[in-house]
Amino acid sequence: MNDQLNKVLHKQQKQINEPERVVDDVIQLVGFIIGNEEYAIPILSIQEIIKPIDYTRVPEVPDYVLGVFNLRGDVIPLIDLRKKFKLESVKYSDDTRYIVLKGKDNTAGFVIDRLTEAIRIKKDRIDPPPETIHSESGMIYGVGKRENSMLTILKVEVLLKRDF
Amino acid sequence: MDDIQEILEDFLVEAFELIEQIDQDLVELENNPEDLELLNRIFRVAHTVKGSSSFLNFDVLTKLTHHMEDVLNKARKGELKLEPQVMDVVLESIDMMKELLVAIRDSGNDTDIGMDISDICSRLDAISQGEEAVAQEVSEPVKEEPVKEEAKEPKEEKEEEEIDYSNLSDDEVEAEIERLLKERKEEDKKRKAAKKSQNKNQTQEVVQEKKPEPSTPKPSQPKVEKPKPVVAKPKNKAPVKKQAASVVEQTIRVEVKRLDHLMNLIGELVLGKNRLLKIYDDVEERYEGEKFLEELNQVVSSVSLVTTDLQIAVMKTRMLPVAKVFNKFPRMIRDLSRELGKSIELKITGEDTELDKSIVEEIGDPLVHIIRNSCDHGIEDGETRLLKGKMEMGTIELKAYHEGNNIVIEIVDDGKGLDPDMLKSKSLEKGIITEREADTMSDKEAYNLIFKPGFSTAAQVTSVSGRGVGMDVVKTNIEKLNGIIDVDSEIDKGTIIKLKIPLTLAIIQALLVGVQEEFYAVPLASVLETVRIPLDEIYTIEGRNVLRLRDEVLSLVRLSDIFGVNKVYENNEHAYVVVIGLAESKLGVIVDTLVGQEEIVIKSMGDYLKGIEGIAGATIRGDGRVTLIVDVAALMDLAKNVSVDITADTQTANKVKESSSDYFVLIVDDSKMDRNIMKKAMSPMGITIIEATNGQEALNIIKSGEYNFDAVLIDIEMPRMDGYTLASEIRKYSKYKHLPLIAVTSRTSKSDRLRGVESGMSEYITKPYSPEYLESVVRKNIKLLAE
Repeated sequence: MNDQLNKVLHKQQKQINEPERVVDDVIQLVGFIIGNEEYAIPILSIQEIIKPIDYTRVPEVPDYVLGVFNLRGDVIPLIDLRKKFKLESVKYSDDTRYIVLKGKDNTAGFVIDRLTEAIRIKKDRIDPPPETIHSESGMIYGVGKRENSMLTILKVEVLLKRDF
Repeated sequence: MDDIQEILEDFLVEAFELIEQIDQDLVELENNPEDLELLNRIFRVAHTVKGSSSFLNFDVLTKLTHHMEDVLNKARKGELKLEPQVMDVVLESIDMMKELLVAIRDSGNDTDIGMDISDICSRLDAISQGEEAVAQEVSEPVKEEPVKEEAKEPKEEKEEEEIDYSNLSDDEVEAEIERLLKERKEEDKKRKAAKKSQNKNQTQEVVQEKKPEPSTPKPSQPKVEKPKPVVAKPKNKAPVKKQAASVVEQTIRVEVKRLDHLMNLIGELVLGKNRLLKIYDDVEERYEGEKFLEELNQVVSSVSLVTTDLQIAVMKTRMLPVAKVFNKFPRMIRDLSRELGKSIELKITGEDTELDKSIVEEIGDPLVHIIRNSCDHGIEDGETRLLKGKMEMGTIELKAYHEGNNIVIEIVDDGKGLDPDMLKSKSLEKGIITEREADTMSDKEAYNLIFKPGFSTAAQVTSVSGRGVGMDVVKTNIEKLNGIIDVDSEIDKGTIIKLKIPLTLAIIQALLVGVQEEFYAVPLASVLETVRIPLDEIYTIEGRNVLRLRDEVLSLVRLSDIFGVNKVYENNEHAYVVVIGLAESKLGVIVDTLVGQEEIVIKSMGDYLKGIEGIAGATIRGDGRVTLIVDVAALMDLAKNVSVDITADTQTANKVKESSSDYFVLIVDDSKMDRNIMKKAMSPMGITIIEATNGQEALNIIKSGEYNFDAVLIDIEMPRMDGYTLASEIRKYSKYKHLPLIAVTSRTSKSDRLRGVESGMSEYITKPYSPEYLESVVRKNIKLLAE
């Protein structure tokens, strides 16, 4: 009896909230610079972008985890993407920003050198990542081809995953 | 789907509430087998569970409860005597019922765990039939058509209609669902009404029972038992001992999630309040004597007062009486005493004491282990007790009471007590301690050996205890709650175990300490005391730093060593020691400053930084900065691995400079031209030059530790931070005590020079200067010889 009940109720539920989805083949990204390369992150996973604020060091973590900072009452980890990408760290400039990414069950801030622009790119212009150096950590979602440049699109879930 | 789910949830909540009470009732029943009211109550539990579970199609559960109901029904009618053997079977069946309910809660059905109930059912049958021949005819039809006889009208319909469901079309099924739901709501309404009137008319409780029991019209019980919650009591959230003429206690059931959310909001509010207080302090300093300060003060204090009240009020809504845990012990003691062949009495006091729900959930297991231990190892068997001149019946007391911001739970037994020498030799045998440790160990420390993993005094492993894990569990769980365990014992007199647990977990009092430039919060519940000691009172024993504090020897560790804090300031002659205690151990933690006590809200650092050793969480301070909260239990473990001699001078070997470009000089000047002149003057030396445009920037560069500077050239007049301030700031750091600071300035007066010396400048070059002069001064200061 339960099964039948469920089926019926399920069907009703379905009828109520079945929004027609349009297939979207353009994704929107936010581009930024770390070192000499341009990277991008899907705009929908970005909670906000803020100017650098004070953070508190946390002991016993890898060096790319700078610490935690207070984002309007939430304690959020801060990760230095330069250090994560094994680049030399530099002093913060006026362009330095924290990008706060929001994942399914994690939120974290990432230090980037500077923002570039919001980018719309067709899905078919994105190639899978080359099977080389970076693939080991699987941080790259794909490489976006633009008129005169390449764009490394990062995987948000992987960035937000604790790997230590 | 949701509606069914809701009904199921309702059922589970109700069922768990019912069985919570049933254990205690059953044990009591064994002592008072004649107590009809008790019997009725127990019968109704079985009955209610049966009714609901058959509605929800839990066949296994229905069958089991049905058989239980038979037995209890007989007992209730006086056709069956509840002998201990009978009780054993009944209790066992209740355990199975609980298991089934748990299975339903977890997996949504009662078949997944594949429990075999045929055995228990036949035993129950045997009791209800075998013992009573007269009742045979009464019980026979009951068994064949259980539903007709026992269940009430609405259920009857449902059972019948159930068969038709498969033939109905979807629409019809939907209509049917609607009808059933309506019925269910009606029922609910009826029940609620019944509950209300029940509360009003306590004495007629039985007559007005929500589900009328035609088979047993019970007149109100004249026999007045001690006031007890009735079976269909409202949720136990606000436990009110109902008196005969009690007022109507109105309660609503609230999801725990909502309370948690409320608690989080209060947490934010407390943070806001802290911030407001801090700002008020700053404002007070700046605008002393102004009139608006008075008004501001009033607002701030009233906000802070209300916040505190609100916090207490919300905390109270989360409070549960500890009886929730204590209730299961009478049954446990009963089982244990039968199993062990000892007679043990359990005395419970203070079961009304309330504490946070999350804590109530956590203390259950530790208490089970402690009480089991007391029964098994503590209380001697009857003969031994008589020989020792004690009462044959052993006593275990379970007490709960408040003490400040803590709740204390005491487990007292009058058994044989702990023998420190025996504990030591056992631990030696098992390799838990070394001989030396055993020799220096005090009695109190020896008692604490029982909490070591792998420790057991039992000669053989029984089903009750002796595996040497139980007390270890106690320790871990109590530590998790930031509690303290205290053991006291006297041979042949008994043992007292005291658990001291903070009332709530979300908002705590903390001691804020400073380590170099960082701050940490230590939960105040774990802080025993703080002392200031001269460094030469620290001794080294076996490579460990210790302090003699009164008659105790305390291990010492520096917080900065545990957390790898950058050392920037000079060591003082004195050290502040924060003595922390947790469960049964103590540790002295050396910090640089004591900031003070503050109310903090524990915030998680998210999944990304979860489980960092030594850190329990973070909090946001009044100034908006994040401060980490020390995990005292982990800290104690970490401290064992730290082997830095505190008394030793820390000398960092300087790296050997190979070429002149290994020398670093920092130029601090706001004028680009001046910086270029200096750079030009020094270029022949081939050293590396870093530039900063003001004092603040220079200080940040130095603090970052990116470069190891050999000299700093400082202009005096600069924006944001002038040269004097910069010099004195730099001198605050121990490792820059001897860093050459060269003032390069056009200020030439004597007083300027004097100020330069005061602030820590080592050289003074007045503008204008010749490039050669500057070069030679720098060379001299960084000890780089001309080629």
